[in-house]
Amino acid sequence: MVTPLEPRFAAGDRVRILDLGKPGHVRTPAYVRGRTGTIERFCGLFENPEERGYGREGRDRIPLYRVHLQQRDLWSGYSGRADDTLEIEIYEHWLAPEETA
Amino acid sequence: MTERLVTDIGGFEAGEVPREERPPLFWQRQLMAVFNLLWREKHILNLDEFRRKMEEFTPENYAKWGFYTRRLEGVIGLLEEKGVLRAEDVEARTQQVLREGRDGHTA
Amino acid sequence: MNEAHDHSHAHDHAPSDEDLALTYEEAKFIALKRLLIEKGLITADAIRARMEIDARGTPHQGARMVAKAWSDPNYKARMLGDAKAAAVELGIPVTEAALVALENTPRLHNMIVCTLCSCYPRSLLGEPPAWYVSKAYRSRAVREPRKVLEEFGLDVPDATEVRVHDSNADLRYIVLPMRPEGSGGLSEQQLADLVTRDCLVGVALPRPPAA
Repeated sequence: MVTPLEPRFAAGDRVRILDLGKPGHVRTPAYVRGRTGTIERFCGLFENPEERGYGREGRDRIPLYRVHLQQRDLWSGYSGRADDTLEIEIYEHWLAPEETA
Repeated sequence: MTERLVTDIGGFEAGEVPREERPPLFWQRQLMAVFNLLWREKHILNLDEFRRKMEEFTPENYAKWGFYTRRLEGVIGLLEEKGVLRAEDVEARTQQVLREGRDGHTA
Repeated sequence: MNEAHDHSHAHDHAPSDEDLALTYEEAKFIALKRLLIEKGLITADAIRARMEIDARGTPHQGARMVAKAWSDPNYKARMLGDAKAAAVELGIPVTEAALVALENTPRLHNMIVCTLCSCYPRSLLGEPPAWYVSKAYRSRAVREPRKVLEEFGLDVPDATEVRVHDSNADLRYIVLPMRPEGSGGLSEQQLADLVTRDCLVGVALPRPPAA
C-alpha cells in the first residue's frame, strides 16, 4: 500500500469508525466501532501498530486522527450529562466519510 | 462485530476503582527496566509486539494475572516466540531460585 | 543485595522488598533476568542504569509545567500547542512521540484513560498509579466517567462537560487544570505544590492554597 501524501480527512470532517473485522493486534476498541464522530485533529503519520505488533517495523507511516464522539452515541442509557464527549485516536484505514445528516 | 481482544474492556461493567497506592516492588521496577533495555537499547522486541503478546493470553490468565505478572509473562512469551529463550528453561530456573532464595543471586 | 546509588533527585524509591517472602512471580523474574545476563543480552550494570533513567519521571515534572502555564500566558499557549516541546523547554526529556495538554475550563473537565492497556506519559510523570491500570478504571472511565469521578471525591457540576480521552495510540496526555481560587500571590514553586498526579490525569482538582 502506498502511503498517501496527504491525509484524507481534516478537522471538522464527519467520519464513521469502521469495524474492519481484522483479527489480531488492533488499537480500535470495540466500543467505538460503527460509531460516527468528528475529526478533532490530524495527528500526523505514524507506523502502523498492526504491522509493528508482528515485528514488521519501518513500514510506510499512516495517518492518525483524534475523533470526537458524543457519549450518548456510544452508550445506550448514558448516565452523565447529555453533551459529555469522548475523544480517541483512530488510524485512517479505520475511518470512512460520513455525510452530515 | 468481530470478537474483541481480551484486553479490549472499555465499557465493561466493573466494581469500584481500587484506590490504594501500590508503588511497584523493586523486582517489578527491575522488570520494567529489563523490558526497556530489550526494547529501546537492544531492539530485540518492540512495544507493539509486547502488547500483542498480552492480547494472546487466555481469558482465564488475563483475568487472574496482575499487572506485573502480565508483563513478566508477556516478556517471557515474546522472547520464546523470538527464539531467545525457552519458557521451560525459565520455569526450571524459577524453581531453582525458589529453592535457593533471593540471596542466592548476585545481580 | 543492596545497591548504593545516588538519591539526590527527589523521587520515591519502592521500599526494600528483601523482608518480603519470595513469591513465584519474583522468582520467575529473577530467573528471566539471570538467563538474559548469562546469554549476554543485558548486564546488571545496564539494568541499574536503566532503572535510574526510568525513575526520572515524576508527577512534579508535570506540576512544574502547570505552575508555569498558570504564571505565564505565553508558556501556557506553547504548552497547549505542543506540550512535548514545552516540557523540553523546562529541561524535562519527554520521550513519547507526542504529548498533548488538555485545558480544563469552567465548561469542560478532561479525564484520561487507556482502556486497552496502560498508556501514560511515563517519561514525564513516572509509572501510573495502580488505579489507572486497574480493570475497573479502564472499563468504567469511558462509560460512566462522572460516577468514577464521584468515587474519587470529584463532583463535576452539570454545567461542565466531561470529556474522556482514551489514550489508545501514539499521543500521550496531561490535564492542565484550572488555577485554584486564592492562588494569586503564590510563586511557581508554591503553585506546583498544589498540583498532584491525580490532577494531571483528571480525577482530582488542585487544592486551593491554605488560607
